[in-house]
Amino acid sequence: MLVLLFILFGGLAIGCAVNVVAQRNPLYCAISLIGVFVSLASLYLMLAAPFIAAVQIIVYAGAIMVLVVFVIMLLNVEQDERRQIRVGFLVPAAVVLAGLLIGEVAFFLWSVSPNPTLPPSDIGLTSSIGTNLFTTYLLPFEITSILLLMAIVGAMTLAHRTGVLTPNARVIPGAQVLAASEIDPSSSHEFPTTLATGSTTEAARILEISSPRTPDRE
Amino acid sequence: MEPQLSWYLALSALLFTIGVVGVIIKRNVIAMFMCIELMLNAVNLTFVSFASFFRDVTGQLFVFIVMTVAAAEAAVGLGIILAIFRNRESLDVDDASILKL
Repeated sequence: MLVLLFILFGGLAIGCAVNVVAQRNPLYCAISLIGVFVSLASLYLMLAAPFIAAVQIIVYAGAIMVLVVFVIMLLNVEQDERRQIRVGFLVPAAVVLAGLLIGEVAFFLWSVSPNPTLPPSDIGLTSSIGTNLFTTYLLPFEITSILLLMAIVGAMTLAHRTGVLTPNARVIPGAQVLAASEIDPSSSHEFPTTLATGSTTEAARILEISSPRTPDRE
Repeated sequence: MEPQLSWYLALSALLFTIGVVGVIIKRNVIAMFMCIELMLNAVNLTFVSFASFFRDVTGQLFVFIVMTVAAAEAAVGLGIILAIFRNRESLDVDDASILKL
């Protein structure tokens, strides 16, 4: 029975993984990857790890894949077109390496001893994981929280955009002519059609950018 | 007959290899990102199977931490992808081959 389940979910995982690589539309890749995650969660359940299976579904198939699908939808990417393989001489090397991998896996299947007979235990239960996480492995847990904080700050820094101008844009004094609609779309009739600014700081003040980049600040 | 430890290891090796092939042959940044997630999951399967067969909870804690790292990687990586797309109007890795905006 367990063997049948292993073949079912393992085959599903491999099929979905091959589909991730084979698909050209990134959205279909994402859907196949969710299939991989769900079948791996089923394998975790078979391996007596219900907490990890639940976290796999919630964090991977839930949070991370929602983020990926959101970015795919946001960027509206087109399917990548088929192109010539640039390094054709690598194909025989790839065949040799694949043969090496298959030989290695066959060696594993043939030589690794059958399952050691150990008494059943309570590993994988939430209480066991929590006890170990907050006693023996407290330092890695805290380091993980610092890592998450760094990720939050990094993502905010990457996604932050200051006003209308891009971060590496610079207003040249006297040479910048701004359209009035860029300054205030609702009251464009009060201004003439364009507005000339004398300096970087003046343009920044009109555009309501908090800290203009002033390279020569004394 | 129960599923053996070596079966899980073989499945994990296959999934990892599929992920490596995807990273090598894909051109789209997001598709490469998803193949990296696939490789992380293959390693997670190895951890969980060893933890289960040797009755040691440490492997499952490692899986927990790997998942956290994957979440952080997803946030920062997708931010980088957004920045690349904003600057280059493309998601092709060959268009972003120099470290310059």
